[in-house]
Amino acid sequence: MRVVIAEDLALLREGLVALLREHDIEVVAQVEDGPGLLRAIAGHEPDLAIVDVRLPPTFSDEGLLAAIEARRRQPALGVLVLSQYVETAYASELIGDDTAGIGYLLKERVGDVRAFLDALRRVAAGGTVLDRQVVAELLAPRDGAKRETLASLTGREQEVLALMAEGRSNTAIAEALVVTPGAVEKHITSIFSKLDLGACGEDHRRVLAVLAYLRVAR
Amino acid sequence: MPTLAAGLSIGEYARSLERRLAFLTALLLLGVWAIGGQGYFWPAWAWLGLGDLVLLDFTAGWAWRHPPGAIRRVACVWALVGAAAVILIFTWLLTWLLAGVHSFWPAWALLGLATTGSAYSLIALHDRVLVAHGRRALRARIDMLTHTRRQAVVAQGAELRRIERDLHDGAQARLVALTLQLGRAELRVQDQPEVRRLINDAQHEAHQAIEELRDLARGIVPPLLADRGLQAAVESLAARYGLGTSVEARLHRGLAPAVESAAYFVIAEALTNTAKHAQAQRSWIVIDDRHRTLTVLVGDDGRGGADPAGSGLAGLRARVEALDGRLQVQSAEGEGTVIEGRLPCG
Repeated sequence: MRVVIAEDLALLREGLVALLREHDIEVVAQVEDGPGLLRAIAGHEPDLAIVDVRLPPTFSDEGLLAAIEARRRQPALGVLVLSQYVETAYASELIGDDTAGIGYLLKERVGDVRAFLDALRRVAAGGTVLDRQVVAELLAPRDGAKRETLASLTGREQEVLALMAEGRSNTAIAEALVVTPGAVEKHITSIFSKLDLGACGEDHRRVLAVLAYLRVAR
Repeated sequence: MPTLAAGLSIGEYARSLERRLAFLTALLLLGVWAIGGQGYFWPAWAWLGLGDLVLLDFTAGWAWRHPPGAIRRVACVWALVGAAAVILIFTWLLTWLLAGVHSFWPAWALLGLATTGSAYSLIALHDRVLVAHGRRALRARIDMLTHTRRQAVVAQGAELRRIERDLHDGAQARLVALTLQLGRAELRVQDQPEVRRLINDAQHEAHQAIEELRDLARGIVPPLLADRGLQAAVESLAARYGLGTSVEARLHRGLAPAVESAAYFVIAEALTNTAKHAQAQRSWIVIDDRHRTLTVLVGDDGRGGADPAGSGLAGLRARVEALDGRLQVQSAEGEGTVIEGRLPCG
């Protein structure tokens, strides 16, 4: 796997590079800003770009805009956006019309190395990974009719949905929650019926279901 | 009123009568002197006396036209001083013309009069002078305080944004790098459960710290507001509440962070109230920065009856007023609620 990293903070960038190299992932370019990212993907044709939302010179949402532009230029490129905070508006923009090969994670998820590497690989392979806080944000009890169905999920079902949004398999969810895969299946069936999404087993379809809700909420 | 008017006209009449009498008397005396064989021109002294009366009457009238209190008292003193000075000078004139006295004998008396008058004026009026001076100084101070307070709040707003950025890019980013290092370390000690547990605990602590820093930064300024400005932040806010809120934004200028944040928090609080209490069918937000004022309107067609003195609204009012702005709440029972904030942004 060939990766480009766009991160302005040297400490973190170097840590990421070291981590990826330890796990036989090739880092073909390290850049510090948006234009650098666009040049790097044109020159190296990587499988995946890891992009910080805030980049110089404005330190606002330059990284996000650069990631969206990079996707537009190379639709096959996987993009994993890292952010200090979760903003559902950003998740929606990043996803646009195509969920394939998109990831949006809080920065501190890099600390859970295995889950992070797993997320990288899934995004590079065209999967979708959303931070569980994006889902939590959407499930947060607020007023309005659209929230009521989401609020009708039990605590455990919300946890399962959050893990689904991260793109995890049933087995991985079962492991994370310390339950049997059968119990996870049941929760998922219940979530689909409560959200009126129709039952479907496929991983990718499941994430789509979550994203469908993301759009409704937008 | 009629009595007062009558009193005034009687006074006027008396005064003119008195002057006429004085004039007639003067003529009469001149006639007596002419008939009585002339000689020493004694009527001059009588004229002086009559003139004194008229003069005193005139100066007393002038003094009385001043507003009561210290100013009228000072005017009375100067009326007396003036009259006395005129009398003295005319008297000297007569002694010089009629009796051939050459020395200017009233000099010391005149000096005494002027000194006394001045001293009295100073004593009587120094309070007023001080008060007038104090008032001017006070007004200048209010202007300065208003100006510097606004500057301070605006500077504080910019400073808070800088702190928010520093939290994200400094401490928080370092903690993220730390968790990454800890994660890498953990992978190398898979066979030492005790060390792994220690590392996991350390990671947990780092996560808590990151979480706290994030909440702190969000409380200072929501990321979307810092990144994309008021309109984007308000649109996201409106969408998040799922009330079908319409947003009409007419923004033409860059806003100071403090002004932008205050406007944002006014809208956020108003929307929270609408969602919680209003049971509204429709709600709307208008933001406009014309006429060097950022006007923020948040309205709904719900049940109204919001308490403008409630803690949420009171907090917002304080925030808006610190920027010399105004916050108005209209929320009659059954007639919806409109919250209007006006913030100077020139």
